[in-house]
Amino acid sequence: MELFVQRCFDGMFNGAIYASLAVALVMIFRATGLLNFAQGEMAMMCGYIALVFLSSSDSGIAGTQSIGSLLPGHPWPTWLAITGAVLVGFALGALVEELLMRPLGDGSPLAQVNVTIGLLVLLNGLVLQIWGPFGRSFPSPFPSGMNDHFLIAGARLRYTTLGVWAVLLVVIVALGVLLRYTKTGLAFRAITSNRDSAELVGVRVRRSLMLGWGIAAGIGALAASLVGGAIVLEPLTMMKMLIYALAAATIGGLDSPRGAIFGGLIVGLSQSLVPGYLGVPSELSLLPPLVAMVLVLLFRPHGLFGTVPVERV
Amino acid sequence: MTTPTLRVSNLEASYGQIDVLRGLNFEVGEGEVVVVLGANGSGKTTTLRSICNMPIVDSSGTIEVDGVDVSNADTGSIVARGLAHVPQGRGTFPELSTYDNLMIGAYVRKDRKAIEEDITRWFDMFPVLKERRNQTAGSLSGGEQQMLAVSRALMSRPKLLLLDEPSLGLAPIIIENLFDTFSRLNSEEGVTMLIVEQNANLALNIADRGYVLEAGEIALAGDAEKLKNDPAVQEAYLGA
Ligand SMILES: Nc1ncnc2c1ncn2[C@@H]1O[C@H](COP(=O)(O)OP(=O)(O)OP(=O)(O)O)[C@@H](O)[C@H]1O
Ligand SMILES: [Mg+2]
Repeated sequence: MELFVQRCFDGMFNGAIYASLAVALVMIFRATGLLNFAQGEMAMMCGYIALVFLSSSDSGIAGTQSIGSLLPGHPWPTWLAITGAVLVGFALGALVEELLMRPLGDGSPLAQVNVTIGLLVLLNGLVLQIWGPFGRSFPSPFPSGMNDHFLIAGARLRYTTLGVWAVLLVVIVALGVLLRYTKTGLAFRAITSNRDSAELVGVRVRRSLMLGWGIAAGIGALAASLVGGAIVLEPLTMMKMLIYALAAATIGGLDSPRGAIFGGLIVGLSQSLVPGYLGVPSELSLLPPLVAMVLVLLFRPHGLFGTVPVERV
Repeated sequence: MTTPTLRVSNLEASYGQIDVLRGLNFEVGEGEVVVVLGANGSGKTTTLRSICNMPIVDSSGTIEVDGVDVSNADTGSIVARGLAHVPQGRGTFPELSTYDNLMIGAYVRKDRKAIEEDITRWFDMFPVLKERRNQTAGSLSGGEQQMLAVSRALMSRPKLLLLDEPSLGLAPIIIENLFDTFSRLNSEEGVTMLIVEQNANLALNIADRGYVLEAGEIALAGDAEKLKNDPAVQEAYLGA
């Protein structure tokens, strides 16, 4: 029993990470109808930037010296560093749309998706080049000492897990309100539905897309900075995360932020529960989430909460 | 003469190698209803798309709205000048509800309360849309979608309305209602209109003037009355 609960808690933690990255993927999908394969790497880049913001200049981490001398009060406290990283993420996202996606034009979604894969490789190389292959950990914004946990049925529920979920829920509610109840959200939905007509009603499509990319990358940056406290950041971290996040987004339905949350939970839990009980070796830890994905898609081809497209007659 | 609401000079357009418009010159004066007739493929849709600077069209020439050159402006800022365009076929947002389609039609407006009043107005005009209020536009019938596309354009309270075959796929009684509405919008609210229409008889009835487009050139222009009595027009468009 204790072991089961502990595994659930562990799965919940990983699930939060997958879910937040999945939410970022969903956001891009909602705004553009595309999958951004570079989402994880963009997030990781921002995680490292958070690290630079909060490390002292003599830490030996690349960039701390030059950036530190520019920033007042550097090294920054954790929350400020995370806020900074989220803003950098927002700018990075907007820039990717402006400099890479826009010139490709809307007529070539496949080309755009390919470019995001190229960006994945590029950013990964860049991070490796700048910060090296070492694993880095940095302080969690939540209390994360030995005793910072609740004991439930003998298992530990870390404050960090709760904290990450709390932030995630706030993000998801804010995003839901934005998409469903605001003019900006209506514009996002209109753009995905009919780009030509969106222009015709006066929606500034370019501006909306930049905003969409910015918000998505900002959420990714938040995810990367929040988990920094609990897992080690290294250049390969996000490749794996992205695969899980893609599975999570697919399970939840690619256009549903709410679905991304449930998808993240399902992936996290299946990953922490199934191998332990069924004896799946850890090399195959990717398997349970993928099986879960196939099972869900078998019964609900558009995911748990995804919009089923209307048939035109 | 006062500045026309829309002035098109030397408009040429092509799709890649194919030249579609070969130097069009025409105007729509303030408060006028002008109809454009022409065979399939003569370039009517291309003309309207060029005016709004919509994608795919490669065009040159000058477009002026209220005397302001908008030839190089993007679609969004042209629309913000009080122009609305009902594109040919599928002008709706299929994944959005009927209500949201109307809401987004008012995207450039800020007067929230008046927007709700206008929605009620078009719901009264097309009661079937009211019944389908929460249904996605994609699940409406072709005719219902056309009503929605027209209502959506009117939601922006345009000064200048471009209509690309508004009667397409509608039942005769609905068409009559629709043209009645256009006529009233023009006489009571002074909305200027440029209408592309195959239903020439009906269009000429509410129009002040008309142009006949042939292979990308204006072959004939004149008052609606004159066009109605023109033997060539009668033969080609009025089925006389
Ligand atoms: N996207 C395109 N690519 C290539 N050629 C095109 C394209 N769109 C239109 N054309 C060509 O341009 C010409 C004019 O088309 P347009 O749609 O303007 O005609 P139209 O007068 O509106 O016809 P209809 O009455 O059938 O709607 C046609 O010969 C058509 O084949
Ligand atoms: Mg046409």
